Amino acid sequence: MIFEIEIKTKKGFVDPQGLHTVSDISGIGIKDITDVSYVAVYRISGDITSKQADIVAKELLSDKITEDYTIKQYKSLDDKILEKNSIEVWYKHGVTDTVSESVVKAIKDLGIKEELVVKTGKKYCLKGKNIDDKKLKKIATGLLANTLIQEYLIK
Amino acid sequence: MKVNTIEILKLNDKELVELSRKSVLSLSLVEMKEVQKYFRNIKRNPTDVELETIAQTWSEHCKHKTLTGNIEYCEEINGKKKVTKYKNLLKETIFNATMKLNKDWCISVFKDNAGIIDFDKTNGVAFKVETHNHPSALEPYGGSATGIGGVIRDILGVGLGAKPLANTDVFCFGLPDTKASEVPEGMHHPKRIAKGVVSGVRDYGNRMGIPTVNGGVFFDKGYMANPLVYCGTMGIIPKNMSEKEVKPGDLVLVVGGRTGRDGIHGATFSSVELDKESDVSAVQIGNPIVEKKVLDTMLKARDLKLYRAVTDCGAGGLSSAAGELGEKTGLVIQLENVPLKYKGLAPWEIWISEAQERMVFAVPPKNKNKILNLFKKENVEATFIGKFTNDGKLLLKYGNEVVANMEMSFLHGGVPKPTRKAVWKQKTIKKQSPVKVSAKTLQEDIKKVLADINVCSRDWIIRQYDHEVQGQTVVKPLQGSSITNLGPQDAAVIWPYTVVKGTKKGIVLSNGINPEYGKIDTYKMTASSIEEAMRNAVCVGADPEKISLLDNFCWGNPNKPEILGSLVRAAQAAYDLSLGYGVPFISGKDSLYNEYTIDGKTYSIPPAFLVSSMSVIEDVNKTVTMDLKDIGNDVYLLGITNNELGGSVYSKIKNIKSGIVPDVNVKVSKDLMKKLHKAIMEGLVESCHDCSEGGFITAVSEMAFAGDKGIKIDADAIKTGEKMTLAETVFSESNTRFIVEVNPQNSKEFEKIFKGHVFSKIGTITDDKNLLLVSEKSKISIKENIKNLQKAWQKTLQW
Repeated sequence: MIFEIEIKTKKGFVDPQGLHTVSDISGIGIKDITDVSYVAVYRISGDITSKQADIVAKELLSDKITEDYTIKQYKSLDDKILEKNSIEVWYKHGVTDTVSESVVKAIKDLGIKEELVVKTGKKYCLKGKNIDDKKLKKIATGLLANTLIQEYLIK
Repeated sequence: MKVNTIEILKLNDKELVELSRKSVLSLSLVEMKEVQKYFRNIKRNPTDVELETIAQTWSEHCKHKTLTGNIEYCEEINGKKKVTKYKNLLKETIFNATMKLNKDWCISVFKDNAGIIDFDKTNGVAFKVETHNHPSALEPYGGSATGIGGVIRDILGVGLGAKPLANTDVFCFGLPDTKASEVPEGMHHPKRIAKGVVSGVRDYGNRMGIPTVNGGVFFDKGYMANPLVYCGTMGIIPKNMSEKEVKPGDLVLVVGGRTGRDGIHGATFSSVELDKESDVSAVQIGNPIVEKKVLDTMLKARDLKLYRAVTDCGAGGLSSAAGELGEKTGLVIQLENVPLKYKGLAPWEIWISEAQERMVFAVPPKNKNKILNLFKKENVEATFIGKFTNDGKLLLKYGNEVVANMEMSFLHGGVPKPTRKAVWKQKTIKKQSPVKVSAKTLQEDIKKVLADINVCSRDWIIRQYDHEVQGQTVVKPLQGSSITNLGPQDAAVIWPYTVVKGTKKGIVLSNGINPEYGKIDTYKMTASSIEEAMRNAVCVGADPEKISLLDNFCWGNPNKPEILGSLVRAAQAAYDLSLGYGVPFISGKDSLYNEYTIDGKTYSIPPAFLVSSMSVIEDVNKTVTMDLKDIGNDVYLLGITNNELGGSVYSKIKNIKSGIVPDVNVKVSKDLMKKLHKAIMEGLVESCHDCSEGGFITAVSEMAFAGDKGIKIDADAIKTGEKMTLAETVFSESNTRFIVEVNPQNSKEFEKIFKGHVFSKIGTITDDKNLLLVSEKSKISIKENIKNLQKAWQKTLQW
């Protein structure tokens, strides 16, 4: 089973990464993007239950006061449907992902002993006028993903 | 695990070159033939492990073949040619000066991972500055993070290990307003590189709990495709732990991060020009949390004397680290024992991987369990992977299979010395025609220079770094009278009271770099950079006779005689000034082949010579900062102002093409700095700042707005070497000049010290918060609010 745990800043709190991304996007000459919300994504593959995934999201990956989490569950990644106007960035296979190494260790410390594989990703949800594939691709390659070590996903 | 034998015995020249290229060995034909000869003698073909080991050990990055190789240098002055032959440029210039000076306070120079000098009776301080240019071009965040991580490990790996106290960083980037269409395909935009590099240093340095206290940034279009990332670390070490010794029978222990495919071919890769298809696996990713644990635990092991030697895994990975430690003894390694991040690595990949956060130790067998338990207790992975022997051989095994078996003497001494040609021809450089401007233009120009990308405030960068963690930073990168009034401090001072209880002593760190001058003359650039680093240190209270220096060459392709010629000139300047001032170089580094080819066009970087300085001061209470202190105080300018606008910021913004690059008169400079030091030690100096980029008016503006004080300047009192216009006088970048604030009660005594030198009282601190510049001779009077000057200075770099 594959779980994708998404962590997002709660309404009413400042989302610094989102704000920075808005200004960075205008910095590379793309106009009309008015808002970006940043979502940290943890993809956990392995033999755990949805209850265990919920514990991981609640106790380990999110801050109860400032962040909300949602858990998406897939049998295979082929079932995943990307959100409109969003860009996901993931490390390419074989690139060291230090955060995922820490997460694997911390999940064990929570008492979940199953062998798991964790990958970390970043999701940027964009709002604004005239967002099209060309624009998303330009933002992804020019700003958010270094295609040497990362891949990006857009709908 | 599969080990391949590589056919080399039967290959002809063309095939040897092809093999080197195809396998990214970066070995020349002469070197490949030497390898072939060695294996012909032992009548077999090498394994892939052996070939890769040779390539790593002989790489430019590890062996510095250019600077230690033969150079035939031809200098042409006024049509006369003179040829000088160097057998080892580094040894005959920079290192030679250090040997001649033979300072008794130098503890370890040019032989270990960092240079060490005296701190007090029992402690020494170590300093090292490294470059991480190519990786930062490809992955700015990861490249700079592993750059700082690597130089921290250099400090951990000097002697038996020093405790890091502070980091420095200096960057050269392309222009941030470069049009996206001008950026070569496959490269990142300079602004993206700059942002990524800054955040990489920030995240690694901050997470390690080491303050980043000093640095600099230089922007030029020449660094667009090839940024320069210099990272430095200073640490403190007990003197009786500054040497290492490996004994046969000692065990090889690898500690810290696991080994993966990270940075395969990083060392050989740094000797190739970048192109669109640069190797993906050359990118390394850092993990500061692991390194922090290694740092804390290894210092405990050091104090318990559990090991006899240590070094870090940098370029070339285990191959270089273990190879260096075992160079004099011999070594046997069981590669299957190296802990891996994932399965599937071939033996040669394990041996040369540049996975980060790893240190290698030589442990006496009796301490085997003690040291393992210590690391285990702190959750740091530590694994024995082999043993030092006494047969002078490198023996690598994977299980029972021998995968490499070579003589250490061949590996470390067998690299053939290349002979390269270097040329330099003196160019005639003319003064610019007199620069005359109106009062209004001059007033605007002052603000334009303050706002220039190479002068403006770096607070956006500095404030991302924790420069106060450990609580020992007493002179900080930004100084001023409040949190909003601030100016650029010349040097940082660390007071290591948590390590050395009861001490009043401090460590001064500063640097100097100005590639703009190098575009015209690399000799003067190097001389100016050395003086700038020293001036910066002296400004806060360092003794100019106790300064130690680090050299860092970043140059283009040394196979081009003109480029190598400009490098030889720089090395000569370093030699001349080091001897002249009596300040030794204690360590250094070079990064060559900073060149980038795309669409058949070659972009070479402007040569950059970074000088970093470290000195120990007796009493941190006596340090001085650059912000003006009190209304009514006198302001002096020490030193002579010459017509030297070549390579200046003013010439750049006014598009002036000619002009003389600032020179250094070592004799005058040395004596002036000595006297300034005396004045500071006697408590006669309230604030002090040197004149560098942007000249006198820039420095004095910075002092005024940092101190939130007005100043009235009599421009006619500035002593010039010849007749100069007002604009030339205030924007000239002549070296050996300091602006000093003195209480009128002390003026007489202050003036007495500088008898025989060129200096003058040029102004008074006022209570009206204006900078007033008056020249009766030029009939010009300018009045500008210091807040407006600060705004101009601070607005440019706020990303």
